[in-house]
Amino acid sequence: MTLFIKSIQNLSKLCGILAALLVCAAILVDVQMVAMRYFLNMSTIWQTEFVTYAIVAATFLGSPYVLLIKGHVNVDLLPHYLPALPKKILAIFASLLALAFCLVLTWQAYIFFYEALEGNWLTDTIWELPLWIPYLPMFVGTALLCLQYVADILCLAFNFEYLSILAAPQQEGE
Amino acid sequence: MEPITIGILAAILIIVLLATGMPVAFGLGLVSIVFLAIFEGVDSLSVVADTFFAGIAEFSLVSIPMFIVMGAAVASSPAGKDLFEALDRWLTRVPGGLIISNIGACSVFAALSGSSPATCAAIGKMGIPEMQKRGYPDSLATGSIAAGGTLGILIPPSVTMIVYGISTETSIGRLFLAGVFPGLMLTALFMAWAIYYAWRNGFDFKAKIGAFSWKQKFEILPRVLPFLAIIIGILFVLYGGVATPSEAAGVGALFCLILVAVIYKIVHPKKIWAIMSDSTRESVMILMIIGSSALFAYTLSSLFVTQSIAEYIAGLEVNRWALMAMINVFLLVAGFFLPPVAVIVMTAPILLPIILTAGFDPYWFAVILTINMEIGLITPPVGLNLYVINGIVPDISLPTILKGAFPFMLCMVAGIVILCIFPEIATWLPEKVMGLEQ
Repeated sequence: MTLFIKSIQNLSKLCGILAALLVCAAILVDVQMVAMRYFLNMSTIWQTEFVTYAIVAATFLGSPYVLLIKGHVNVDLLPHYLPALPKKILAIFASLLALAFCLVLTWQAYIFFYEALEGNWLTDTIWELPLWIPYLPMFVGTALLCLQYVADILCLAFNFEYLSILAAPQQEGE
Repeated sequence: MEPITIGILAAILIIVLLATGMPVAFGLGLVSIVFLAIFEGVDSLSVVADTFFAGIAEFSLVSIPMFIVMGAAVASSPAGKDLFEALDRWLTRVPGGLIISNIGACSVFAALSGSSPATCAAIGKMGIPEMQKRGYPDSLATGSIAAGGTLGILIPPSVTMIVYGISTETSIGRLFLAGVFPGLMLTALFMAWAIYYAWRNGFDFKAKIGAFSWKQKFEILPRVLPFLAIIIGILFVLYGGVATPSEAAGVGALFCLILVAVIYKIVHPKKIWAIMSDSTRESVMILMIIGSSALFAYTLSSLFVTQSIAEYIAGLEVNRWALMAMINVFLLVAGFFLPPVAVIVMTAPILLPIILTAGFDPYWFAVILTINMEIGLITPPVGLNLYVINGIVPDISLPTILKGAFPFMLCMVAGIVILCIFPEIATWLPEKVMGLEQ
């Protein structure tokens, strides 16, 4: 089980790196677009969509990583004042609830992606990007988000606290 | 079931779910799918992915991660320290110059970073020990930084203003301008209170003056002015009609990354990764909340909750200022518990129709809402700035910081009252620069 949890955590980290790279790419393309449009007076075709979808992809792919480093903002007032055991039970309960939503989102994202792929949907712009491309990161990201939740719940339930400490954000920048 | 009853049930369920400590983004989403499934049938869940996706896939939202990268780049460098030092060296002969330097540095840094905790950390690390060394009371030293840091969400470019603009479909350019004078007004109020407090406690300003040569005054400028140029540049391209916020933000982000690389030699891949992973974390957190709030807004609207609440309140025919007071109390309480972005995306779509019906200006209201959120940042239980400062100077106790921050909170309340009496402080600049809105 340790192996299972560790692989999921590594997968989430990988997604985090991917998300950061997508943000970088979005910044560069954004600047390139500004340069083309305002300094060279050329019209741009694909840049606006690329930047938008890159940020969307970064959001969904980054989501499991952000969960791993406990970066999804929450109200921890009640858990803060609870003793250890009820705190743990509440944390598992809250994670299960969140997992329920993420499962529905993943299921719907899959249908959405599948329909776009089957129906050969295109964006209604000159670029005519096949829509399954921007929809895919949503499905992949939310699916991994579910897995990361499963890993988190296992960590909580079987006291694998050290694993989540290993993945703490302070360790990242070193 | 009556739409209003559904709305009340949804509100209760949200409070219960968030109290368990589950992330705000998933709590909002869960409430949405539960209500959709119960009241519209399981088939209605087919809108979930589409609505969530469309909530994020918006070009104007691109400005959020870019401004965050810009802020993270600046925050990772010693730019805050230099900014503070530059102001201190130049204002050394002004009575209370150190406090003015601190709060001034906060407001400039806040504009650059757009993040309140980052501002507190960057200016506070340098400013608080310096104020302690020159004999200012601990409570004032910490309180002024805690309050100064909150200016980040009011002074443009501000991420919370972008979020408000998108969730209410108002112009982000106008919102930024609306925040300028209220931001300066709050800065002035903070400075006035700090100087008054120090003076009343018999603090001897003259004895504490440090001396700096002209060489010292000028040698620090090359490290500070480029960042000021970026803020001015961004505002210039936005209002010169040259670029949209998303375009200006991308250029600003790249310039800030280049500047910290050139001035502060931040080029090591690990340091760059620290900037990128930090900003990715914050952007993802905010954008996921925006996505699920799009779903939440869709749910409320398809169950006629939003429309019914607006109609109900319009039908009450209460005095519009009594209504504004109620809204303020509500926002204040929400701000005590939730981060600004979450409050804005959850409440703005419901509040805006009410505000418009009561004849208030949406841009003026954005400022009022933001100041309410600022107060939440320096009040317990989730006053983020208080904890950041506690982390920087652990020898000063949390109650002392709180005591120091309290008068500044009253300054913000005074700011809200002044804005209610003179709404022009917020509305004049956008109208002057961009003309009346069609």
